[in-house]
Amino acid sequence: MDGLKRVIRTPLGVAALTMLVVVLGLAILAPWLLGAKAATIDTNNLLALPSSAHWVGTDSLGRDLLARTLVATRLSVVLALSATLVSVTLGLILGSAPALLGHRLGRLVTAIVNILVAFPGLLLCLFFAVIFGVGQVGAVFAIGLAGAPTFARLCHTLVAGVEERDYVAAARIAGGSRASVLVRHILPNIAEPMVVQATIGAGSCLLTFSGLSFLGLGVQQPAFDWGRLMNEGLNRIYLNPLAALAPGLFVIMAGLAFNLTGEAIARIFNVETSGSWLASGVVPSQPGVTASAHGIARSDKTVLSVNNLTVDFPGVTPVRGLSFDLHQGEALGIVGESGAGKTLTGLAIAQLIEPPGVVGGDVVFLGETLRSDGGEEQRKLLGTSMALVFQDPLSSFNPVRRVGEQLAEVSRVHQGMTRKVAWKRAVDRLRAVRISDPERRAEQHPHEFSGGMRQRAMIGMGLMASPTLLIADEPTTALDVTVQKQVLDLLDSIRTSEQVALILISHDLTLVGERCERIIVMYAGRVVEDLSADALPVAQHPYTRLLMEAVPTLATDLDQPLAVIPGAQPEPSIEITGCAFAPRCPLADDICRTSSPTLAPVASASGRTRNKRGLDITVQTTRMLLRLNLGGKSTPVHTGRVACWHANEPLPETSQLDDTSPSLPASTESTHDVDETVVTP
Amino acid sequence: MTTLPETSLGQEFLSAGARGWLRFALRRSGQLLVSLWVLVTASFAMIHLIPGDPVRAALGITASQELVETTRAQWGLNDPLPLQYWHFLQGVLTGHLGTSITSRLPVADVISTRLAATAELALAAFVLAVVIAVPIGVAVAVRTRRGRGRALDLGFAGTSIVLGTIPDFLVGVTLVSVFSVGLHWLPVGGRTGMSSAILPVVSLALGPAAVLARIVRVEMLSVLETDYVRTARAKRLSAARIYLGHALPNAVTASLTLGGLMLSGMVAGTVLVESVFAWPGLGSTIVSSILVKDYPMVQGVVLVYGCGVLLINTICDVALAILDPRSTVVR
Amino acid sequence: MSRLTFENVTVRFGALTAVNDVSLDVPDGMVVGLVGESGSGKTTLARAGVGLTPMQVGRVLLDGVPIPKRGSAGRVQMVFQDPYSSLDPRMRVGDAIAEALPTPIARADRDDHIAHLLDLVNLNPAIGLDYPARLSGGQRQRVAIARALAAQPAVLIADEITSALDVSIQGSILNLIRRLQTELGLTMLFVSHNLAVVRYVAQRMAVMRDGIIVEEGPTAEILEHPHDPYTKELLAAIPGSHLPPKT
Repeated sequence: MDGLKRVIRTPLGVAALTMLVVVLGLAILAPWLLGAKAATIDTNNLLALPSSAHWVGTDSLGRDLLARTLVATRLSVVLALSATLVSVTLGLILGSAPALLGHRLGRLVTAIVNILVAFPGLLLCLFFAVIFGVGQVGAVFAIGLAGAPTFARLCHTLVAGVEERDYVAAARIAGGSRASVLVRHILPNIAEPMVVQATIGAGSCLLTFSGLSFLGLGVQQPAFDWGRLMNEGLNRIYLNPLAALAPGLFVIMAGLAFNLTGEAIARIFNVETSGSWLASGVVPSQPGVTASAHGIARSDKTVLSVNNLTVDFPGVTPVRGLSFDLHQGEALGIVGESGAGKTLTGLAIAQLIEPPGVVGGDVVFLGETLRSDGGEEQRKLLGTSMALVFQDPLSSFNPVRRVGEQLAEVSRVHQGMTRKVAWKRAVDRLRAVRISDPERRAEQHPHEFSGGMRQRAMIGMGLMASPTLLIADEPTTALDVTVQKQVLDLLDSIRTSEQVALILISHDLTLVGERCERIIVMYAGRVVEDLSADALPVAQHPYTRLLMEAVPTLATDLDQPLAVIPGAQPEPSIEITGCAFAPRCPLADDICRTSSPTLAPVASASGRTRNKRGLDITVQTTRMLLRLNLGGKSTPVHTGRVACWHANEPLPETSQLDDTSPSLPASTESTHDVDETVVTP
Repeated sequence: MTTLPETSLGQEFLSAGARGWLRFALRRSGQLLVSLWVLVTASFAMIHLIPGDPVRAALGITASQELVETTRAQWGLNDPLPLQYWHFLQGVLTGHLGTSITSRLPVADVISTRLAATAELALAAFVLAVVIAVPIGVAVAVRTRRGRGRALDLGFAGTSIVLGTIPDFLVGVTLVSVFSVGLHWLPVGGRTGMSSAILPVVSLALGPAAVLARIVRVEMLSVLETDYVRTARAKRLSAARIYLGHALPNAVTASLTLGGLMLSGMVAGTVLVESVFAWPGLGSTIVSSILVKDYPMVQGVVLVYGCGVLLINTICDVALAILDPRSTVVR
Repeated sequence: MSRLTFENVTVRFGALTAVNDVSLDVPDGMVVGLVGESGSGKTTLARAGVGLTPMQVGRVLLDGVPIPKRGSAGRVQMVFQDPYSSLDPRMRVGDAIAEALPTPIARADRDDHIAHLLDLVNLNPAIGLDYPARLSGGQRQRVAIARALAAQPAVLIADEITSALDVSIQGSILNLIRRLQTELGLTMLFVSHNLAVVRYVAQRMAVMRDGIIVEEGPTAEILEHPHDPYTKELLAAIPGSHLPPKT
């Protein structure tokens, strides 16, 4: 079993399983080996204190307490497991009933379970103990029934979670009955968490059982379990504390054995789901590509200067060697697919990468070199001059605090405003981002806002002070098209009226081309092209060009298949030599696969001797221009940088590029649950 | 549950606020009433679910047939079931819960003299657990974030699992043997002033504190990874403001749901701890009553315990609604 | 002949009317695009079409015959938005496809069928032995399409099938849809929020807003001469609809 192997590999797992084996071993062996000793009555040794003959002493009939404690393992464990079995069985039935019974009846079952689950197990247990009467069989059912609601609730939650998955819907469409869907699709997918819970449940059943026996409500004489032994020992705690504590120790050990085993299994699942801090895909380490010189004309006021920016996480370098300058009021777009490193780039510029992430290179903002451990002064500078807008406006606001309060906080902390003045400013800023009735809105919580309104409020938060740079990371991806337009228009107007520089991070090349002056195209953590938006039609990197043709627009030729970029961005675990795009590139040759191209000004790229087909390029360019409805304009000029051995060479016809070989390495879009790449011949 | 495909959240909740609260209050009261009804009905049904004759069981085989008949009449067991139910409901509403078989005292009187002791114990233990658990949970979360502090992480996990596993009565027994029997610092049992409360409260609080600390840590860790904490960092707030002002309220809110369950678990835990320390509360009463089959007494105490649990759950939900207005919105 | 008709369909969730008296015709062999923003009710209508969401009023007809309440038993198939949710992680790809086959068939035939279907969606048939975890998003979406085709459906409903995919993958799925449509003559309801995508695959389209279809007709006609103000607003909001970029 693969799961067992992984449990053994953790220290917690080893400890847990060892204890479990000891407990189960005792349960099997002790009654055989020590059963006689535990039952031997010795009238000469009544109520003896611990001695070398009787380590824990003897009871009122002179029986050895250690032997009795060891022998009691079997009954304690068997009773606990029986109670667990009752709980789990009932819980599974009640918990999966809603999936079988359909809406009305299902909801009734759920409601009953929800009421029962509110009562603590011990209380339910006492209730059932009254009904079933005192004794071990009654206690098994009492504890089993008392535990059932918790299991039912858990099972129901898990079932409901799986039921929402589309594969269940697909199975229903295919004509599967409720029962067959439950058995084929739902139960297998909740098995693991149920096993964990049952293991932990066995632990708590054992503890509860010892409690009941301790109270005298569980196992009755002459039978004995640990709880019963403790009950008998408590009366003599002054004379022989060990008589009560020794069985107690075994209770704890057995309880721990079950609980820890459950924990250990659960932890293994957790390990796989955690690691979310590496939000974006990551790529393997390789020396960064430096290119500080570039051909973009500078205006006077540089707001931000980024030089050879890298982001490192242990073992991976998701951003490698990014350099650019940004001027007052300028809009720069950073474009790439998910996992290209664009989000991390934004966070790195804003000094928001947290350990174990490490930012390398220089970021100079308004003349200050930023540092990740920057002091009070840098905090103030960034707090007032750099604003950030994130992708999901709902999760980006603190759900439990009023919107106005969250805006006002900026001015209170960084500008020393009083609560009242800061609130007024917040209302004013909400008005500035065109939120109607801002006084009332400021009093509301984020969940009372609509999506577009939230994003505007987030922009308003950035405007509390007087920002010179606004970094917007996919600010409209979570929004509808019409709302997206409003938000982008708002960003445009802020940029022009307040001369705020903008970094717009997006996966949408068309959108960025429309809203920005300059575009940086990222692929697998590298900059592959840096060009002015005007020059998009004459983009030189095959990736940029294919990306433009792969996404349908309202001008796409309906008679042609869309361009296809086969495969996907390389997995972080794959070491890349040469150009990262080579495996997907129709122009790739041996040079591309062996040596990494540097980001160089376009002029030198087009002067390379490789590029002999000048005529083809012009034809290609013209066709692109026509396709993009730019007919009336003069041919744009590419004055940026590109990293490609075959920059601007003509691409094969798109029809030859259909994705007939789906066997390329799995993409970063699938990093959530893909450990290995699909390798098919 | 119906899936609501692509509902525009914003538009739907625009007019939330007061209406949301009203709806929440109505829903929650409805839920409370149903739960109360279930509780009352269950405690009524309890006697009838006992196999055989509960009166004979309660009085023992030696009791005369005459006495059994009188008691039957006294308990109203000869009436038709609906009438019995009606009388029971009346009794519950007017505070008449019958008479104890053993002590011959009205059940309501016994409960009222013992309720305070139990409430005191549970409340003190809850406060202690929270005071211990929240700071520890938060501190450990901050220090073990993103794979830092491996040793602390392991130590904390081990300690809290072990402490959380030890049942409260065992903690009690251990504490008694050390501090009362061994060191003679504190009384063994009874309720004789502050010093006698220390051991029961600690026994009751220790396990839940460990569990709560783990919950707080987990919630805090997940809150620290949320987008709004990133926003707070992007606002360049101080670490104290980020942790205490933005993260902690959310972590506590998230812990509250489980914390509420834990508190009601503590109320039930008094049953065992009171037995260890001979604490004169409801817990020791119910155990002794079950053992001697004093059913009217058991019925009464179960009702009171149940009401206590429901009260705690309601308070928790209201607190949650105040702290996090989203929770008033029906999903 | 296979033609899907929604007749006066109304779907309510409590107080919310998600779909309000909608009638829509998906003619034989044609792709009809259904466009709308989140909350417009387009996904609800699609789910009602396969019987996943109960309707309060109205009915769905297949070739003029009402589809029974318990669903179409495979005659109308659906492909979902999220490829990570639409395949059972515990089931081999081939088994998932086999489950959708209309009648149980012999082992050898079964494997041939699966191989053929995988080939049809440009996947290597060897993938049938893999679990979904080993597949990329684009590959999963192809498997989901193959599974839907396995049922030999009269009509296919595609619900936002490219919106969870990376832009570079999206194109190949759209190419596949177009190829399948011409090769197999599929009748399809293609739900999407993206007008440009709908334009590329659908001959006719309907625009939905607040549970109502505001405009319906041939795609080219609507895009060129939108009548409804909302359609106009949608068109104007699409990035790239007012190139060239500003400076």
